[in-house]
Amino acid sequence: MTADTLIGFAFWISAFMFNTLRPIVPAPFLPLMGAPAETATAYLIAGTMVFLTALINAIMLIWWERKLLGRFMDRRGAMHVGYAGLLQNLADGLKLFRKQPLRPREADKLGYFLAPAAYLATSLMIVGFLPVSTGWVPGVAPLSLLMALALFSFAPFFIFIGAWASNNKYSLIGGMRTAAQLVAYEVPLLFAVVSVVLLAGTFDLTGIVDAQIRFGWFALPLALGLIVFFVAMLAEVERIPFDLPEAEAELVEGWNTEYGGMLFAMTTLADYVRGLIGSYLIVLLFLGGWWVPAGPFTGALNGFPLAGIFWFQLKVYVVFAVFVWVRAGLPRVRTDQLLQIGWKRMIPISLANVFLAAAFVVVGWPPFPKLF
Amino acid sequence: MSEMWVNMGPQHPMTHGLWNLRVKVDGELVTDAVPELGYLHRGIEKICEYRRYNEVVTLMDRTCYVAGLAWEQLYLMASEQALGVEVPERAEYIRVMCQELQRLASHLMWFAAFVMDVGLMAPFGYGMRDRDVILDLFQSFTGARMTYEYMRVGGVRNDVPVGFTDRCRKVMGWLEQRIKDYEDLCDRSDIFLKRCIDVGVLKAQDCIRNGITGPMLRSAGVARDLRRDRPYSAYPELDFQVAVHDAADVYGRYRVRMEEMRQSIFIVRQTLDHLDRKPGRVIAEKVPRFVGTPSPPPGQESYIVRRGYPKGVGFSAMEEPHGEALAYVVNEGGEQPYRVKFRSPVMVNICAVRDYLVGYRVSDIPAIMGSIDVCVGESDR
Repeated sequence: MTADTLIGFAFWISAFMFNTLRPIVPAPFLPLMGAPAETATAYLIAGTMVFLTALINAIMLIWWERKLLGRFMDRRGAMHVGYAGLLQNLADGLKLFRKQPLRPREADKLGYFLAPAAYLATSLMIVGFLPVSTGWVPGVAPLSLLMALALFSFAPFFIFIGAWASNNKYSLIGGMRTAAQLVAYEVPLLFAVVSVVLLAGTFDLTGIVDAQIRFGWFALPLALGLIVFFVAMLAEVERIPFDLPEAEAELVEGWNTEYGGMLFAMTTLADYVRGLIGSYLIVLLFLGGWWVPAGPFTGALNGFPLAGIFWFQLKVYVVFAVFVWVRAGLPRVRTDQLLQIGWKRMIPISLANVFLAAAFVVVGWPPFPKLF
Repeated sequence: MSEMWVNMGPQHPMTHGLWNLRVKVDGELVTDAVPELGYLHRGIEKICEYRRYNEVVTLMDRTCYVAGLAWEQLYLMASEQALGVEVPERAEYIRVMCQELQRLASHLMWFAAFVMDVGLMAPFGYGMRDRDVILDLFQSFTGARMTYEYMRVGGVRNDVPVGFTDRCRKVMGWLEQRIKDYEDLCDRSDIFLKRCIDVGVLKAQDCIRNGITGPMLRSAGVARDLRRDRPYSAYPELDFQVAVHDAADVYGRYRVRMEEMRQSIFIVRQTLDHLDRKPGRVIAEKVPRFVGTPSPPPGQESYIVRRGYPKGVGFSAMEEPHGEALAYVVNEGGEQPYRVKFRSPVMVNICAVRDYLVGYRVSDIPAIMGSIDVCVGESDR
């Protein structure tokens, strides 16, 4: 294990800690400091790193969205706490953390408290399967893409539980909409993924990025798939124009109307973690992951350690900027219109895309010499 | 899911004010709707009876907080008729300019709120920003941004400052381009059209049966505009067109208001030309002295009759940004109006809610109610 993968890095820190501690720990405790404890600590460190990456990125995305949305609306966004408002979200989080957790008297206790926790937990779990650079992933799984998508589609159930348990009519309608939305976007989303898997020949996200290093970004041959995946991802992460479950114009705050304080913070954080994962997946599946074509500028940068993570993060923030752009520029669709978009437009397009991908597998991609 | 009643209001993002829309929903389908008004009733009509004529103007600003000057003029036109006061020509032109600027401000506010209701984030900021520029104009000659207290019995309080007309012209030219941009932004958005077309349809005969006026009526193809059909103030001398659309749906209302904004800019330019051309008095020379004297302290208000002053009644009708507003003022020879009564177009437009909401979906409610342009301060008074 070397220090240039996530697990290797965690083991390195763990070994460093244990080697430093062993001389000063009293003799009776030395059996506790053996190799098993070192391994366990290493995995704990790896998990904490993933957790912190997800949370810090999610908080940064909130800042990024607020700044961008402010610019789109001809205002400045958060700007007072920290440099350019960078710490504003931490201040907001602290305020929400200090609030008393309240539950409506008629709400179902178990469902009400379980839903935000499960929503956030399952969302955070996905991050464990997403590589941010070669080897920088804790869960090395041959089916990591499938696992990530399976975990991704858990959320509507928890939203529905929370909505039902809140015992509020707005929440109930919002929860029902989540269910309706699920049928609209899941099928085209998976078809778009199928085309990528066909072309890459693997379910392993690292393998998919490797395939893109060989063939070039999949955004080029699978442009249709990218569009479908992007639109379906907007629906999956419940952002405008598909934020029907929390359409604030008619449903106040939708399914999380009754959540306040830290519970609200958790649901919002989970929303952004999912936004982050959506951007991650788009970058991994279509935009070449951490790989950029070598150019005069990129070639020099690629020599640095962790350059892959830098490129990956850059792409993720660009993709999320497009999410924000869409939010600023498009109105919200209606539930029935979402179903129409999903079934009448996106499924045919994604099917055509699957055929295209199959054709590329047969005749070979690229059909012409590699451009970049 | 069985049917259930949902309260949308009094505190709800859709309401734009303090009122309660009770809708009966069957899943996503609206099967019944009942408006509940009165949360903002301040008894303005009754308070008017204890205030001198000029002091009532203060209340009129509070009647509709996005179109204060419109209500000031509505009330003053009726009370000037009741008192027998003539308004100088320049004052009439300034008033008309105020009306049209106020219509622009109100429609921009509506635009901002409406696009927010259908889920468009960015134009909300644009609408509010442009309204702010008009409020700056108001501030330059009335001294206030929302509660102006600018008009008086017999004219207006003061003339526009030096250089105002040029500044206003600049703003109008800029705004014209802006409105075109907003139309492009909305009309070329497929989702926006999907949300607006064939939603909240209220045909012309239903509008007339319910007494609905203003942009809602004009969007149903009825070209009725009091500025043209029952001209008042300086409107007879001004040239403009009545904005009409025949879609009768949310989209039609949006188109009508956008066109009205363009016509308002056209009218404002004409009034500015007139103001540049003809100087003159802005308040009548002969105004009964008591209209400006302060009221007795609270608790000692009483209806004081002065012998020798003429009695009379006044009635005025005007095309307010929301629709046709009527006022009736009875002068029994007292220092205060004996009775003041208003007809608010918003009240009537809201009360027909069942006719244009039933049969549509819950998601359509904000779009439809947004297209009505609700101002609760005005409907509840």
